[in-house]
Amino acid sequence: MTIIITAFERSPDGGMGLARDTRVRWALEEVRQPYGVRLVSFRAMKEPAHLALHPFGQIPTYEEGDLALFETGSIVFHLAERHAGLLPDDADARARAITWVFAALNTVEPPILELVTAKIFEGDRPWTKERLPLVEDRVRERLKQLSARLGRADWLDGGFSAGDLMMVSVLLRLKPSGLLNEYPNLAAYLARGEARPAYKRAFDAQLAVNTGKLPGG
Amino acid sequence: MAELTLTTFDWVPELPRGFVRDLRVRWALEEAGLPYRVASVPFGDRKPEHFAHQPFGQVPWLTDGDLSIFESGAILLHLGQLSAALIPPDPRGRSEATEWVFAALNSVEMASLPWALLKFTGNASDTPGWKFLDDFLKLRLKHMEAALAGREWLAGSFSVADILMSDVLRLVDRFDGLAEYSACRDYVARATARPAFVKARADQMAHFAAADGRTG
Repeated sequence: MTIIITAFERSPDGGMGLARDTRVRWALEEVRQPYGVRLVSFRAMKEPAHLALHPFGQIPTYEEGDLALFETGSIVFHLAERHAGLLPDDADARARAITWVFAALNTVEPPILELVTAKIFEGDRPWTKERLPLVEDRVRERLKQLSARLGRADWLDGGFSAGDLMMVSVLLRLKPSGLLNEYPNLAAYLARGEARPAYKRAFDAQLAVNTGKLPGG
Repeated sequence: MAELTLTTFDWVPELPRGFVRDLRVRWALEEAGLPYRVASVPFGDRKPEHFAHQPFGQVPWLTDGDLSIFESGAILLHLGQLSAALIPPDPRGRSEATEWVFAALNSVEMASLPWALLKFTGNASDTPGWKFLDDFLKLRLKHMEAALAGREWLAGSFSVADILMSDVLRLVDRFDGLAEYSACRDYVARATARPAFVKARADQMAHFAAADGRTG
């Protein structure tokens, strides 16, 4: 059955790969499932047809026959559960890998998103200058703890898993800030994630959309 | 079945009581009727043993035999595998419950937590920063209002998604953020009227109150 995901017609980041469809593309590439992409405009995202797929009017969504999913986390979880490549076989190891998916989305991403939005949308207004160091410290606290846990390991718990896919995706948002350079093992972890062939294919595919060079015409 | 042990802090200040995240896990365990034990770690002096189970120094975590997991979302999905009372057994219900679990934690709580933090610290003043967070939350609530207007629970029958979503919205309600969202308010009232929630909340309050007695 054909898998169709949605993505921005034009991503606000201009193809840096930070839009969330990249996470889903990466998961699809890791589990080697072919997929199609339907591009949606900002206007179309707020219209009933798209809202029926995604109650918050966002991307990405996932359609596969009768199944329609929203939320990046649930789409990656769905793919990881059904195809080999993103979760270990052992039941306990699977539960731990899923724990890292949630840690990425519910513990590490919130302060990072706050930092990114403070910088992008709020510029150098006085109150931002006041708040920014506080938010940066909250991000550092999480990075310090994550760095301590990762230690010298390649991935968070054994082999590469959906947990790493999500954690790397979340940390990628920090690249422009330079904060990751304070934690060399996390910077190396990020580089390992970006070096995966599946990530590269996902990144290139979203870049092609955003630079108008659609592969295969 | 291996013994389930839920670990939370030994004590917390008054303000967060009734909202510490072990409540989500207690609630799920009570809904499922699964036997469990509650263990404590120091709130003040967080030791390496704590970080070994919870790398971010938070609570809760759950051990199930040899398995130790943290993150309320992961714990609730794990418990969902143990009881049909927590995740509908049919594929469609299961998908819906899972997507709403992620929506509660990564879409709604992403907006509500920074909002509640500013309210909590008394910084919800008339600044652009506050307005930005307030608008972000209102956008999410507007969509939740539409989603909840037509249904009793998020995934057909009651599920772990409702535990997480209603707990996320409950914190907004605590700071009167649901005043204009009646479907969200009704949903929180419906969820928190469940006997399993009432017991989970009472147990959490009693757990921390008992520590007051020991230190005071």
